Amino acid sequence: MLWLERRIVAALAGSDDDRSGGAISEFVDSSFRAMPQHLRLGVVVESIGLGAYVRVRYLGRPTSQQIRTALAGFERFPLGVVRQYPQLLASLVIFAQYERPIP
Amino acid sequence: MRTIDTEVLIIGSGAGGSVTAARLAEAGRSVLVAEEGPWYEPDAHVPFSLDEFTARYRHQGACAALGNPGIAFAEGRCVGGSTEINSGLYHRLPGYLAAEWRSVYSIADFDDATLARYASEIEQTITISNVPGAAPPSSAVLHRGATALGWRSVEFARVFAYDTNGRGTKQTMSRTMIPRAIAAGTVIQPDCAVLKLERNARRVTGAVAQITLGDGSKETVRIRADDVFVCGGAIQSPALLQRSGFRRNIGGGLKFHPTVKVAARFTEPYDHDDVPMHRVTEFAPYLTIGGSASRRGQVALAIADAAPDRLESVIEQWEDTVVYYAAIRSQGSGRVTAIPGLRAPLVTYHMTDADMSRLARGLVHLGEVLLAAGAVELFPSITEGPIVSDRAGLGAWWDALTRARSKLMTVHLTSTIRMGEASERTGADSFGRVWETENLYVNDASLLPDAPGVNPQAAIMAIAARNADAYLQR
Repeated sequence: MLWLERRIVAALAGSDDDRSGGAISEFVDSSFRAMPQHLRLGVVVESIGLGAYVRVRYLGRPTSQQIRTALAGFERFPLGVVRQYPQLLASLVIFAQYERPIP
Repeated sequence: MRTIDTEVLIIGSGAGGSVTAARLAEAGRSVLVAEEGPWYEPDAHVPFSLDEFTARYRHQGACAALGNPGIAFAEGRCVGGSTEINSGLYHRLPGYLAAEWRSVYSIADFDDATLARYASEIEQTITISNVPGAAPPSSAVLHRGATALGWRSVEFARVFAYDTNGRGTKQTMSRTMIPRAIAAGTVIQPDCAVLKLERNARRVTGAVAQITLGDGSKETVRIRADDVFVCGGAIQSPALLQRSGFRRNIGGGLKFHPTVKVAARFTEPYDHDDVPMHRVTEFAPYLTIGGSASRRGQVALAIADAAPDRLESVIEQWEDTVVYYAAIRSQGSGRVTAIPGLRAPLVTYHMTDADMSRLARGLVHLGEVLLAAGAVELFPSITEGPIVSDRAGLGAWWDALTRARSKLMTVHLTSTIRMGEASERTGADSFGRVWETENLYVNDASLLPDAPGVNPQAAIMAIAARNADAYLQR
């Protein structure tokens, strides 16, 4: 996973990822690896572009709350591909988070 | 490169491929089935669980048709294909559709009696039954709501066998047709991805494939065959044909049932181990209302679409919530395009304005049924969609289900290599032989001229059996 992807998973999953031994991150990572290559390429391009925006906007070290704020902004963006980016990440995190019992 | 010889190579082991394999092997043909996915025991994974997604779904379920809106879809990728992961609903091809397709696409020997004969034969192998006793509460909701509104509903039969305790087992291809094919001598080669078909003028001579070995390494093999059946489904079959240089009417015209979901919260816990088998058929075939998998993960996803800020509180009592859907027959269509150098094809789909309108109507009708059945809160799969708790609130869904905010999915993919003698708009003849070839056949959902408005597995199997017999009689 790329920098923004890791930060988003951490922001959305919170302590659940640690408590599950990184199972949520692992599922998101394996989903990215299993994706059709052209879709993964699109996600990578967005992760780099949006990641650069987030770094500039929050001076390099955004907090989890700032990441969530950025995601909320992406979800309202006029371009569909930008709106779909946070939706995809959130879907993967939520499915893994709630499907697997977390101690 | 190692060479494997066979009389008939069948690529794919789902509803089309396994029926083809069983019939040809029982007729004495030497058959090799190349399946891209792994071979699991039928009970190896809990249905619709994260483990099943990871193991048996293509791309772990992360596939989408690009468009406005994009539409997520799922395909099986294992021995047995999508029959291993679907809900097992069984519905013969409606007679009026067979007549329409026969007329529009000039399909020979495609009458009701012929299809019914093959369906009957298939049903002797894959047990078709209704739930013994009362339907589960999550399913009865649909009947109760429809009855309160004066609408029709039906408990669909499924490919399930029930023991004396009422425990049901889905009769997937790996439990039914594949054992039959193996008993007749078929060789199943799992983990075998066919990269390209090889051809000599109008004849296909075999295929180049890559087998993933137990240690993860890959072996490239050449499979030589007298005849080849491509049965990889409506996405993979056209992609393979295009990669192999076959392009005439291949890949266009993709059809499926765009689907929108609603999570319905009730005041008491419901069952979540099975998929509801009732369907509201008042508006069929253009609009069908039914129930989805509702494990904790699916409920969470559905709630998160409409109300991410309520996810934590609702999920605490997730057993009170069940996920339902409205699915339409679509006027729009899509395309599968192989991308040079990449294995996965590009899939696109165009929803018409009429499709969006029909889907919104379906969403509202679904809401009416669920409220009439006692749901206290409805969460539609619309970004920040209006949460509805009474009938008056449903009107807001008409405006909310826009291309930008809707979250759609589908499972029934068809029609990318249509069959019929009307060669200007079909990719194969009436029995699946690809145009301009002598020995290359398609025998899967790709052949169906349209998405039928119901689970297409029964139609795929009956047509596959019919086409296999036609091949044997040539």
